[in-house]
Amino acid sequence: MATVSGNMKGFYRQKKNAITKKSSNKSPINAATLGSVAAQTPAHAGSPDLEDEHKASEVVLRQFDMNMAYGPCIGITRLARWERALRLGLNPPQEIETLLKSGKVQAESLWDGCI
Amino acid sequence: MERVQCSYHSEDEAFKIGKETYRGQQYSQIYFARLHLMRTLLYSLVPHWKPNFPVCTVLGLEEGKECVIVGTLYKHMKLKPCILDEYSKERSVVPLVKSHNFMHPDDHLVLEDESGRVKLSGNPISPSEYVTGNVVALLGKESGAGDFLVLEVLDAGLPPQIEFPLKSREDKYVVIVSGLSVGSSNSNPLQVQLLIDHITGHLGDEKEQTIASQITHVVFAGNSVEIPRRLLNGQNSTSKDLSRMAESIKELDILLSQIAAGLTLDIMPGPSDPSNFSLPQQPLHRCLFPGSSQYNTFRSCTNPHCFELDNVRFLGTSGQNIDDLEKYSDAKDKLEFMERTLRWRHVAPTAPNTLGCYPYTDRDPFFIESCPHVYFVGNQDKYETRVIKGSEGQLVRLICVPKFSETGVAIMLNLRDLECHTLSFGTQLSS
Repeated sequence: MATVSGNMKGFYRQKKNAITKKSSNKSPINAATLGSVAAQTPAHAGSPDLEDEHKASEVVLRQFDMNMAYGPCIGITRLARWERALRLGLNPPQEIETLLKSGKVQAESLWDGCI
Repeated sequence: MERVQCSYHSEDEAFKIGKETYRGQQYSQIYFARLHLMRTLLYSLVPHWKPNFPVCTVLGLEEGKECVIVGTLYKHMKLKPCILDEYSKERSVVPLVKSHNFMHPDDHLVLEDESGRVKLSGNPISPSEYVTGNVVALLGKESGAGDFLVLEVLDAGLPPQIEFPLKSREDKYVVIVSGLSVGSSNSNPLQVQLLIDHITGHLGDEKEQTIASQITHVVFAGNSVEIPRRLLNGQNSTSKDLSRMAESIKELDILLSQIAAGLTLDIMPGPSDPSNFSLPQQPLHRCLFPGSSQYNTFRSCTNPHCFELDNVRFLGTSGQNIDDLEKYSDAKDKLEFMERTLRWRHVAPTAPNTLGCYPYTDRDPFFIESCPHVYFVGNQDKYETRVIKGSEGQLVRLICVPKFSETGVAIMLNLRDLECHTLSFGTQLSS
């Protein structure tokens, strides 16, 4: 068993990089299309240099998905769910909308297509 | 002799599905929309009802602490047919599903919101009265056994009502009929023709014609046509079968065009009409009525149907909502089911659980925002009517419209005072 030293996150990041590099030659490195892979490798999607940005925005979006106040996240795109929350007067944070409209993030929640 | 006129305004837009798109959503979305809508309403009523008790979510319940919780009810029913029964290994002798009622003394209620669910106990909330899909506010406390002991229940109550117009002096009648079932073996064409002739004033002496001239509007509340079952069994139809299928609709079109020539009419789809199965049923297509749709007095409407005649608000369905309630709950008569749907402010609480429904994502069109003056339900077994009162002075005339093909009875409603009487047609030749 390899020893885990210092930065746990760093350790795993390197490991997963190798796998994504191999398998992703055919498909563009883009969080939005790695749907099924994302389900298995939840914390790592996208190419190494874009990863930080994706991770941060994806984490924020996942918080939005999981927030019970806005209703179920399956079967509805994130933007539609945000708009519904706005219409129902739930005051969803504006930054989510800007993130979703920027187009670089996954339009559906994590489980979309898997359930 | 001139026929009386009245102003008509349709409120069916909420029930039209034209603008909705299906993106693979499940029914959890409509339940969320319903919970949010009704919870906002109930939260505004709770301070008035129980000002001294805190409101909390299901997950925030503490043992022994009295509080108010709001959520959707789920009724666990032992006899409700479940698809999983077909797959269960121990196949005990399951009683044959009797289609009229699935209630059982062991049924219990569970309250659910986004955070969790809790089993309900206590006398004030009786499982025989409520169904899955109701949203209620409950005062009570968590018991040691982990369930919620209910002390009091709050329903939304009748919605606010616009004032009933008092200025009209003359009698203006609306005829509501349902279950014509043209084309079926029980339907008597002579009876239907008598009804049409009476409404159009072709029957009787001057006195009767005067009465007929006061009829300003006709509503057909569902099941106007019945296509013989054997033609719909999915087998290849010969051209003779196809023309026979169309016969019932052609006959109906001829009858409707006789009425449309003289006064306004609304036709609503019902369970046996060629419209979609799930609620809200969409208007019957104009191409089915080549003759009557030429008239601008002909209106094809949705089910449920909401409209205003001379500022008197009507809400009606073809019966599916009340018939479904009857299968899963108990009441002394159909009018009581109707009253409950008004007090719950929801036309079809069992949708989408046991009643087919479109999977809306952001709204629930069955929520009643404005209290109608007249609430009618079609295709019932017998004629019943009652006036109910709300806590803020709302008055609603409830009408159960019987199936015309079985009873020969249509309803005449006077717009001036909402008095109701029957028009009964018989074709027995006395011997």
